[in-house]
Amino acid sequence: MTEPTLQAVTDTAAPAWKPQIAAIVCNWCTYAGADMAGTTRREYPASVRLLRVPCSGRVNPLFILKSFEQGADGVLVSGCHPGDCHYVQGNYFARRRFAAFRSLLNFLGLDPRRVHFSWISASEGIKWARVVGDVTRAVTEAGPLTDWGRAASPAQVTLPEPSAPRPQPATAELEAVTGHLRELAASLLREGKVAVVLGWTPGPIPGQTIPAFIQRPEDTATLVFGTHNHADLAAYLAGPRRVQGKVAVLVKACDARAATTLLAEGQLVREDVILVGVSCPGMWRDDRLAYRCHSCDGEVGALCDFTVSATGVQPGAVPTGAKRATGPDPRDLQIAHLESLLPAQRWAFWQEQFADCVRCYACRAVCPMCYCGSCISEQHRPQWIPTSIDGRGNTAWNLVRAYHLSGRCVGCDECERVCPANIRLDLINRRLALELEQRFDYHAGTDPEGAPPLATFRPDDPQEFIV
Amino acid sequence: MSTPSAGPIHRLGRDQLASWLDALLAERKQVFAPVLRRGLRVLRAVGRAQEADLAPGRTRWSPKEFLFPRTETLFSYENRDGVPVLTDPPADEAPRILFGVQPCDAAGLVRLDTILLQDPFYARRRELTTVVAIACSEAAPECFCTAVGGSPAGEEGVDVLLAPLEAGWVVRALSPKGEALLAPRRGEWEPAAAGAWETALEQAGRVAGSIGRRELPTAWAAKLEQSFDDPRWDELARRCVGCSICAYVCPSCSCFDVADEGSDACGSRCRTWDSCSFRLFTQHGSGHNPRSAQPARSRQRVLHKFAFYPLQHGGQAMCVGCGRCIRSCPVGMDIHAEVVEMMSGRPEKEARDVQG
Repeated sequence: MTEPTLQAVTDTAAPAWKPQIAAIVCNWCTYAGADMAGTTRREYPASVRLLRVPCSGRVNPLFILKSFEQGADGVLVSGCHPGDCHYVQGNYFARRRFAAFRSLLNFLGLDPRRVHFSWISASEGIKWARVVGDVTRAVTEAGPLTDWGRAASPAQVTLPEPSAPRPQPATAELEAVTGHLRELAASLLREGKVAVVLGWTPGPIPGQTIPAFIQRPEDTATLVFGTHNHADLAAYLAGPRRVQGKVAVLVKACDARAATTLLAEGQLVREDVILVGVSCPGMWRDDRLAYRCHSCDGEVGALCDFTVSATGVQPGAVPTGAKRATGPDPRDLQIAHLESLLPAQRWAFWQEQFADCVRCYACRAVCPMCYCGSCISEQHRPQWIPTSIDGRGNTAWNLVRAYHLSGRCVGCDECERVCPANIRLDLINRRLALELEQRFDYHAGTDPEGAPPLATFRPDDPQEFIV
Repeated sequence: MSTPSAGPIHRLGRDQLASWLDALLAERKQVFAPVLRRGLRVLRAVGRAQEADLAPGRTRWSPKEFLFPRTETLFSYENRDGVPVLTDPPADEAPRILFGVQPCDAAGLVRLDTILLQDPFYARRRELTTVVAIACSEAAPECFCTAVGGSPAGEEGVDVLLAPLEAGWVVRALSPKGEALLAPRRGEWEPAAAGAWETALEQAGRVAGSIGRRELPTAWAAKLEQSFDDPRWDELARRCVGCSICAYVCPSCSCFDVADEGSDACGSRCRTWDSCSFRLFTQHGSGHNPRSAQPARSRQRVLHKFAFYPLQHGGQAMCVGCGRCIRSCPVGMDIHAEVVEMMSGRPEKEARDVQG
């Protein structure tokens, strides 16, 4: 809803159009380098507006987002060379964040010519002038940014669907699992090991299951397990939704990964939670296997205290042997398809999706990783995310949601399932997860003791995108 | 299913309906009709009759956004050399038609009127809007219009009612606005055969009969209000995760937030949908929150619709039974079952089973 604060000149026909570029620079190196360019009378285009921050580690990717939102045509972020940071390691952390955020912007289809990163030291006035020249040229080529928060033209993208339908699992096996789950839940409650069992029970829509909080052994008969137990119950283990007291929670493979990440992030009081791993046959969405289940073997997570399968209940995390056939992940095929398109078409595709967002925040509400007591979307001074339910506000929200989950999302795809606007949040999350896997060999939800990838660094992290 | 209230009834073939729609578009009326895009059935402005999808079934969102937009600018401001300049948003004065909505959605607009008609932006749009509803030919498991005084052929808030009949439609105007919409066509349309309307209503009666959910009598409001401190609310709403799907898909939820967006140079004052399910909705500046936990927020939604509002507005519930909130809730909150349980003392699941 807001008018661009840095009023971008958007009339391409006007010969006077010059790009507006926000340069977010660290105080100690790049700002001093820019100063050096000035004192040595180096000429460079007057297209950049400098935003001085103490350290590139201070650069929240929201600054980049906000710059575009307020009318910048391009953004340059620049700090000290690795090893030169005034605060020793700020730029190392920054480098990882930039890698994640840049890959997010690329995937969403923002023209890559609009976002640039560089290391420029205090003595590199010449480099500063050169980089500003290069960035100005690139942004000029890209032209005025006129489609932030909207699709310039219809995207007309059809995503590939998995060809071979998967067979539904045998009902008898699911009934056996249900029976064992009920027995285990009843005995945990009877023996007073937990006050609540978090499971699934039939919901108001035929075939639907919904979260159930079982407190009495006799109520365990309402628990069910089938092919529609979508809810990731780990969402009730942390933050404002956290269930108080000792709790046993039924977890599928994906939910167990969520619990593992919560533990890694210090959110789970391990002794208060009994994780009951359920051997999962894969979950069905309408008549198809959920995308995330194609590449998952359904085995229970290593963290589980019990393993429940059709054959019975076993203590600890035990391979059930009932390995599901796995194949290529349809989400990866769809991501590959999107990445084969021109950025502008990808941008239009995502903007069409975001245009339908109503900001109900169901994506946040069901996400086990969204446990903050106060979300950034609720911050009003300054207001990072416009409250307006429109292209600008929706783009900001969806970008920030995805970025905050980078390196944390375990791919349970609950956000995508519950989205009333059918936004393919799963693809965005997955693309970021793949980026962090490839770059930092990090697989969210596998190691309860590993540091989250954006909370750590290696001095030799790849930095091919930084000049 | 009251007796027809105005004007003769016409029988229309499918092609006739399409050419009517095209004629309305040719008159430069904005027509919002259900369309299918990205797997979503939504109301959108259509350019040709062909785009409209008039098959049975509700749209993902209610039509309220065309009268009470998700976000609207109340005014914009600009700092011109130290002088603040305020600008009104451009007014859209085109007459508009909500074409093919369900009767429950039309009734939802009447509920909205009681809250929002005092707002000039809403009132102007309401004045410009004509509602063409289609009587339902099937009911979903979450439908419960009959439980709150509605009907699959409900007339409340409807200007023109269409009912499917064999391979076409019967149509009649139910209000002066509706009459104005039909009048220019009367010459070219044939009157329906005697009994055609009744046949169409019988079909709607069968749909009503297939809705298994029990009535929620208006007399319950006072007793329901007494349940405010009932500990069962905590149990009922424990699974609520605090999104606002229920409020945003609801045809009658009317809460909003007003925020200034922009900088000291320029910006606008925006009114945006808000929801009682959000923590921030009742957060005080002091930090105190009278609805500090999710069950209290969830209770608010139920009590507002079935106790507070009816007690203040002549008994009618602030709910038209469209069932969207039940269908779209990520954790299957069921507002109908919640009311039934609170009033009957039966566990929610059992309450649902009893309803069929």
